[in-house]
Amino acid sequence: MQRAVGGLPLAPALRARLVAAGFQTAQELLETGPCGLSKEIGISKEEALEALQVVRQECHGDATRTAGGSGATRKCTALELLEEEQAQGFIITFCSALDNILGGGVQLTKITEICGAPGVGKTQLCMQLAVDVQIPECFGGVAGEAVFIDTEGSFMVDRVVEIATACVQHCQLIAEAHQEEDNLKALETFSVESILSHIYYFRCRDYIELLAQVYLLPDFLSEHSKVRLVVVDGIAFPFRHDFEDLSLRTRLLNGLAQQLIIIANDHKSAVVLTNQMTTRIGQSQSTLVPALGESWGHAATVRLIFHWDNSQRLATLYKSPSQKESTIPYHITSHGFRDVQPPAVTQNAEDTEMNPRKRPRREEEK
Amino acid sequence: MAAKKLRRARLSEELCERLSRYQITTCQDFLCLSFLELMKVTGQSYYDVQKLLCKVSRACAPKMQTAYEMKLRKSVNPALAFLSTTLHSLDKVLHGGVPCGSLTEITSPPGCGKTQFCIMVSVLATLPVSMGGLDGAVIYIDTESAFSAERLIEIAGSRFPTYFDSDEKLFCMTRNIHLYRELTCGTVLKRIMSLEEEIISKKVKLIIIDSVASVVRKEFDTKLQGNLAERSNFLARGASVLKYLAEEFSIPTFDAPMDRAGSCLYWCSLSPAAASTRWCLFITREGAE
Repeated sequence: MQRAVGGLPLAPALRARLVAAGFQTAQELLETGPCGLSKEIGISKEEALEALQVVRQECHGDATRTAGGSGATRKCTALELLEEEQAQGFIITFCSALDNILGGGVQLTKITEICGAPGVGKTQLCMQLAVDVQIPECFGGVAGEAVFIDTEGSFMVDRVVEIATACVQHCQLIAEAHQEEDNLKALETFSVESILSHIYYFRCRDYIELLAQVYLLPDFLSEHSKVRLVVVDGIAFPFRHDFEDLSLRTRLLNGLAQQLIIIANDHKSAVVLTNQMTTRIGQSQSTLVPALGESWGHAATVRLIFHWDNSQRLATLYKSPSQKESTIPYHITSHGFRDVQPPAVTQNAEDTEMNPRKRPRREEEK
Repeated sequence: MAAKKLRRARLSEELCERLSRYQITTCQDFLCLSFLELMKVTGQSYYDVQKLLCKVSRACAPKMQTAYEMKLRKSVNPALAFLSTTLHSLDKVLHGGVPCGSLTEITSPPGCGKTQFCIMVSVLATLPVSMGGLDGAVIYIDTESAFSAERLIEIAGSRFPTYFDSDEKLFCMTRNIHLYRELTCGTVLKRIMSLEEEIISKKVKLIIIDSVASVVRKEFDTKLQGNLAERSNFLARGASVLKYLAEEFSIPTFDAPMDRAGSCLYWCSLSPAAASTRWCLFITREGAE
């Protein structure tokens, strides 16, 4: 492939000199060799060698970036993609109605955005997901770890302990009911302490810390390769105040979105963002819309909007490439994020668990 | 963190020199630029710029802690995790009392007792730990001039007659409550920003702002064009500083906006501040919820 010199990732001054000396393609550079290059351009032999190494890397396409790059060739056929998608797990939310409208749960390699008014349950769902991502595979989970980036300070460890305890109990009930070898083995390592030690928590106080953390995230994820969920709780909060320059804000947000998409794809993890709601004042009435503007709406693949209807909490799937738009009710109980209990309790005939609130788990899945 | 100078981020002298020619001196300036701009101002290749970005980010990024470490830290001193309000049913609902280290908002129609609640909690905070207090000073930012010292002494005397048995004890308690009267948004914000040193020097254990809505309502008329954005700006900035102080020093902070009875639009438009508080108590005339 004849790569033009102007497009190579060299230092701008060096690039300018190469173009001025008449080099047009990367092939020409490689043919000249370091000594010839240093004589023609007037740089030292070491610099010339460095530049040629960069060019060689680019041309051979195996860019060994420090940021965990499997990004050399991103092309594959749709069949391969289909097989990948079918083999991929979902992160369940313990609310079967929500899992159903999402098509199984929160998808890996995609960005899911949760918008809602304050107090409706966004952080609760995030904490629930940080626990649920760690469920072992024999119980239908993805056995991963979680990164929790908190910008609002709403993460409460005690609440996570409650949710984790309920989750462990649920798995124990299943293990007792089915008495399988690997279930019991998995339970030995699945405890509240292990769940808590695999939630990596970062508290970002302003947008600079958030940006810095997202720049460092690929390195962190390469070290902790079992991470399957990245939660950013409150992507809107640091960007909503103190920003006079709205174009800078849009640029930074778009940059963030792109980096998160790369992280989601490269590390096969789900990215969950929470957003606030803002009032859009129209002609005659005002409506609640997700914050951060229209351009941010394109960043997330899946968008969920949580809202109230009298005293019932509802979740609406607002944007999804594969599922249709629908609304379901949900509850926040002391055990975490759950379904609304149906009025007729004796519905689940094949339910072997004693607690009717928990979602019935079918073992032949995956 | 954002205002950290690049020099302290361990970048080389000549690089800092070169960047300062483009007016890039802090980490904030550096991280807000795009890749191409960074390549231009540093004169380095793509991969080197990536390494530089990582270096600067490491200087700004927060420290990682696992949830387990957080839990262990909290359980070291469980007595100081909450400030009990001595209203037993309220404490039960709040799982122990007002949590230390986070921002709590109390809202109600006028005349329900927010200021009385704030005065009572100030007394509680000055009590020793053995009696359920925090054994520390209180910073009370009063925007409505509703604080009455006489009432404070009355509450202390009748609530804890055995403890406040002498005038000496009462005066000691009142010396620990630092009252600031701020009447405009600007002064409130300036006061909040300057609290960090006061907290350390006076050993403050509780911050109360009564009330945040009165200054906001006085100065920002929502019918005027740009005011909504400016108002949210002010509230969000104040809230984030308060949250930083609360978490840093592990103290509870209260702010009490007023509320017109039954107006939900008011609630929505105050949402940036409300979104940032972790707890919200809504008091009505029939009883506390």
